[in-house]
Amino acid sequence: MSLWCLRTVAPCLEYIDNKSCYQGQGPPSGYNPQLLTCPTHYNQGNGKLSHFYYDPGADLLRAIIVYSTTYWPSWDVQRLDFSAETGEWVNRDKVLARQVFVGIWGSAWTGKSTMGSFNKLYACMNTGTQINEVDQFTLNPVSGGWSVDPYTWNPKSIFSAAVVNRIDNYLAGVSSWTLDCWKNLGTTPQRFAQLRLPNVLGYLAYESRNYCWIITKDGVICKVDYQIPRWEMISKVQNPGVSATDFAIAFDTRRKQIVVFRSRPDAADGACQHQLEFYYPMVSPARLTEPVPVTSLRAGERVILVAHLIGEAGEGVTPYTVNGELVEPVEGRLVTPFSGTEMNGRVCFQYQAPDQACEETLSLETTVEETI
Amino acid sequence: MYEKAFESTKLVTPGGASPANWTQMIFVTPWDAFFCANTWEWARVFRDGTKVAYGVPSGGYTPIPRVGGYAGFYSGNGRVYEAYEIDQLPNPNEVLNPDWAIPYALAPWTNVGAFLDDQNQRYLYQPNANSVRVYDLRTGAILGTITHNTGEYFKSLNWVQHGQVAGICSGSGKVKIMDYLFGLNVVEAGRIDPHRVAAYDSAFQVLVSIGVDNKTRVYCREARPYALSNPVFTPATIYGLKGNIVKVRLTGQEGEPCPGWWVHWELEGGWWSPGDGHGAPAQQFFPLGYLDKYVSKTDKDGYAWNLYFGPDDGETGRTMIRCSVVLS
Repeated sequence: MSLWCLRTVAPCLEYIDNKSCYQGQGPPSGYNPQLLTCPTHYNQGNGKLSHFYYDPGADLLRAIIVYSTTYWPSWDVQRLDFSAETGEWVNRDKVLARQVFVGIWGSAWTGKSTMGSFNKLYACMNTGTQINEVDQFTLNPVSGGWSVDPYTWNPKSIFSAAVVNRIDNYLAGVSSWTLDCWKNLGTTPQRFAQLRLPNVLGYLAYESRNYCWIITKDGVICKVDYQIPRWEMISKVQNPGVSATDFAIAFDTRRKQIVVFRSRPDAADGACQHQLEFYYPMVSPARLTEPVPVTSLRAGERVILVAHLIGEAGEGVTPYTVNGELVEPVEGRLVTPFSGTEMNGRVCFQYQAPDQACEETLSLETTVEETI
Repeated sequence: MYEKAFESTKLVTPGGASPANWTQMIFVTPWDAFFCANTWEWARVFRDGTKVAYGVPSGGYTPIPRVGGYAGFYSGNGRVYEAYEIDQLPNPNEVLNPDWAIPYALAPWTNVGAFLDDQNQRYLYQPNANSVRVYDLRTGAILGTITHNTGEYFKSLNWVQHGQVAGICSGSGKVKIMDYLFGLNVVEAGRIDPHRVAAYDSAFQVLVSIGVDNKTRVYCREARPYALSNPVFTPATIYGLKGNIVKVRLTGQEGEPCPGWWVHWELEGGWWSPGDGHGAPAQQFFPLGYLDKYVSKTDKDGYAWNLYFGPDDGETGRTMIRCSVVLS
């Protein structure tokens, strides 16, 4: 299992463009407008993601962005809505008109919220130890809403991100490196298992009563069964060459796909470079390794050659057929012209060497069809 | 010296903030690939040199090879944790040695490998450069010592098959395959090139190393011929009119037998007369007698056999048997 990149929306948001580097339009007086082009000047910058979640009711991906601004009071917090289908920024005009102000407290007090049981939103407090049901707009704890305090549990715990399964009374939380799995939330909470993450957590997303997804600071994506618990798959964001400062992940429960928000530093001209990446969890080959002989290379002998068809994180992909062909000039014989991938992506080929010394080249190929 | 079957063109360059050399390499059966670690990253490495980094090590977890071709993680508290099959991340929920905490003095470290067999409850540790000590994983009792006299610590002890581990030295490339369950002895000795890290590949029974140049190399467990002995007659006395048994032995660098190689036999003239300078011509004396076969294959002990028949006309003199092996 790995991830099929459906689409990338880059950049997925913009900053307010002032069109001019001072108040007013066009170049300042005293300058010849035909000789001078004003540099781009944005009123916002350093957009920092504080929450990213899928809202199943509205079928939207929502992101809370904290900006540094040129206008009073030097910061702004807006809630951006993206189409879960295309990634299009649907409330662009409103956000650029600064009409979706959600207040700072939802970003200061809580963080890394994710949808959980009953399609409600849950978040860990930054300023305390509780995990609360939070309001979808302000991201503040809902008064009278569901709340637990893992610091009162044994062992005492403080989480920075958590998924909440109120139906089965499970909770899985991360502070930095470890996913702690708790059960019996309704009575005496008990930590029954821990999973060590591949790297420091970037974001945690709820999928269902059994599964959740993690993304690390460096873009490794894992699916977890938090009730067993067990790692279900490991993969990675694609295009690792695109620089990133952080990653967030949300699970689209309607389309059963994951959406990654890749935070990137602003461009040299101040433009926003954050991007959305949509992935569908499925078999997706990324590369085919070279065939390697694993038996003695002797005249007249059968030689076994091994290659792997793998995904982004080295996970084997199956079922695929890999075809082998000897490149001219051919002196021996390829006994197996094709081989099916095993669970770990391995394919084996047998070559019958001739009775004299020779040099031979085996070329491998596989066909991958776009199925989405 | 084991036969080198492959050398990669791809480089397995260790990554991370400041590149550090690979410290561990463990074959992982469900991956059919290798788990490699250094200070900065955990990676999956394939035999052709493809590397995929997927994780970052944290303090307190030292990778250790396990029975069956799996990785485990020794933690600072003396416990060894299982690893998940999917991603080889430590599974702190499963302690493989619940009864005996392995003391820190017996812990594996970068240049001294250890090995854990949680099926047969054994722990292997190297007290010195010439022996491997076998502990009972339940009680910590010493069950025995394998003396191998390699003179160098094995950087890694890898699973080979039921009851066997391969110790591999990175500095000299010496390999010792040892029985730790039934006989406590060395069953096979071999050698590969000096390298940075290496592991035994129990899927195809080969050895795979990552060199100082970051290339991967694959070595078959068949000795590359290094020496061919002189032909030896058994019994030593030769008679005419009789098939005299003669044998020759082909061995590798460590003296290990090389089975399955064709040995070519020929008879050469015993001597050559330059002539006496007074009319007698220079002449070549032809071989005496004849050989039964002109090519024969080495058996499992590396011996190739032949029969030599002495001359049947009562002629006397000297002749020579020349043997050769074509390395292809």
